[in-house]
Amino acid sequence: MAEPRGGTEGRPAPATGFEKGAGPAGEPILEVSGLVKHYPLTRGVLIRKQVGAVKAVDGVDFALGRGETLGVVGESGCGKSTVAKMLVHLERPTAGAIRYKGEDVTRLSGKALKAVRRNIQMVFQDPYTSLNPRMTVGDIIGEPFEIHPEVAPKGDRRRRVQDLLDVVGLNPEYVNRYPHQFSGGQRQRIGIARGLALNPEVIVADEPVSALDVSVQAQVINLMDRLRTEFDLAFVFIAHDLSIVRHISDRVGVMYLGRIVETGTDAQIYDHPTHPYTQALLSAVPVPDPAAREHRERIILTGDVPSPTNIPSGCRFRTRCWKARDKCAEEVPLLAVPEVFREAGGPAAHASACHFAEEKRVVP
Amino acid sequence: MLLDVHDLHVEFHTRDGVAQAVNGVSYGVDEGETLAVLGESGSGKSVTAQAIMGILDVPPGRITGGEVIFRGRDLLTLKEEQRRKVRGAEMAMIFQDALSSLNPVISVGDQLGEMFTVHRGMSKKDARAEAVELMDRVRIPAARERVRQYPHQFSGGMRQRIMIAMALALEPALIIADEPTTALDVTVQAQVMELLAELQREYRMGLILITHDLGVVADVADRIAVMYAGRIVESAPVHDIYKAPAHPYTRGLLDSIPRLDQKGRELYAIRGLPPNLMDIPPGCAFHPRCPMARDVCRTDEPPLYEVTESEAGRGSACHFWRECLHG
Repeated sequence: MAEPRGGTEGRPAPATGFEKGAGPAGEPILEVSGLVKHYPLTRGVLIRKQVGAVKAVDGVDFALGRGETLGVVGESGCGKSTVAKMLVHLERPTAGAIRYKGEDVTRLSGKALKAVRRNIQMVFQDPYTSLNPRMTVGDIIGEPFEIHPEVAPKGDRRRRVQDLLDVVGLNPEYVNRYPHQFSGGQRQRIGIARGLALNPEVIVADEPVSALDVSVQAQVINLMDRLRTEFDLAFVFIAHDLSIVRHISDRVGVMYLGRIVETGTDAQIYDHPTHPYTQALLSAVPVPDPAAREHRERIILTGDVPSPTNIPSGCRFRTRCWKARDKCAEEVPLLAVPEVFREAGGPAAHASACHFAEEKRVVP
Repeated sequence: MLLDVHDLHVEFHTRDGVAQAVNGVSYGVDEGETLAVLGESGSGKSVTAQAIMGILDVPPGRITGGEVIFRGRDLLTLKEEQRRKVRGAEMAMIFQDALSSLNPVISVGDQLGEMFTVHRGMSKKDARAEAVELMDRVRIPAARERVRQYPHQFSGGMRQRIMIAMALALEPALIIADEPTTALDVTVQAQVMELLAELQREYRMGLILITHDLGVVADVADRIAVMYAGRIVESAPVHDIYKAPAHPYTRGLLDSIPRLDQKGRELYAIRGLPPNLMDIPPGCAFHPRCPMARDVCRTDEPPLYEVTESEAGRGSACHFWRECLHG
């Protein structure tokens, strides 16, 4: 397929803001580079012809340190859930590498793959559809042991399941109950217990609390917070709620239309954002303080997110950006520390994919 | 007072028993005022709205008591035919999920136009022109061309604008918006909320905003009513409630949300779960989850006490509101 825009597919070399110093301390446990997922669009029944592609993920790089929590935020359709699915091997990437302790998982198969998958587990968004209604809680949490019997010998499994229930704050006696006998928050605890069953090192949580009521949300967030210290877990925490992401994350990546547009520590992103999209996103979040109403500056974006089948040339955010100039249509901005901040250093010196990056404080 | 709901009771008869969804709710909205009704799922906030609009499913639902006084008459005593005239023309509702509230096989222009042909007896051609104007007013770009399109051809934010246009069509005095932006992304949510607030000011409508989002409430509401287990537990001007809640449930909610502007340590979590509506705890319904609960809370149901330290009418259904306010 001819690619009219030279720069879009030509991805930058490793310099993506995760060069030494910008990334997690020590050897990363999970390292993603150039991750791409395109879903082909075809036409015709007998003679199928590819007429385009949904570019759900279009070049994502990040690294996750041991015991670190990386928050990924973005609006619907930005590709954050597709990234999650690729991390746990529920989707195969079109291109790119996912390195777990240096080994490219996308090239593994058979036993080696199975061993890696044991260490990267997922917690799903919807606690109502992600648990089989015809299995007891004990069977649901114990099912991972069927696939990885080496983790818990048969005779020991019931006890292990009860321990897990206890760890997530549920009564171990509930082991024979069915999902419908639990509330949404309790079900999410069951989903978390299942994710923990195999003693993974990495947990990928895709919108784990967005289906829950406010008062229950806090319980589940606290639980995850406690578990990651207790079990020394690394988390990839995907959510659209920026406040929750700030609360739980060490570092944050902001996604827009298949790419990470800005990344840094939580303070860098929230208090010193330099990418216009991040600034708009943060300024749009309602703050529970009526006194902030008057003096708060709102950046209201115009229009909608473009279709991932037809991504704008150059900077993909330019169609909604108030700062867009000619250069933005011609040249793809790389995710790197912008030149203006490179020498000065300070909290604004973090990776931001904008030609005209500028620090702007938008959170009151 | 434009709308005055008084001691409303609604229950649902199911196979498993009777669910007490609304247990004596009273609130009022003035012209040009925004009342936010805040509550979690099952608190009765939507059921109350459905009873006001007259779109409650009966059965299984049943209004067992109370009054809904709108512009001087009790809507609950009106015949269905009269109510239908009120609905749409005098009060309108905006739902959370625009995609399932719009008819997928009728163009948006025809759906908007229907408001005018049915209620105003307009010709199809005139109704079409009105539809275009409405779409313009809610800032849908290229309204003249898009009026022929179907709901699936619009984005989520645009569909919600169409819902707003439909609600505004006959310039009602009251709009009830039930989680109007919950299904939308934050940047789009901000666009839609701003539009809604602006139109409300322009038409001086009363607005009941039903939501679970404390951030949205802080942004737009004048007054706020917090619901729990089918009752109003606190009612106050918006600034007061955020400054110092007078009910432990409100306090718990405010403390349990992570904040964008600060990275706190552990979040406060309200213990336990919302009550089963078929078996609401005696006394104060919140007592099993309340850190302040004492013996009297288990036996005596608290009325909505007047919070006397506030100038503007403020109420709290807590025996110990004074302690909560200063604690």
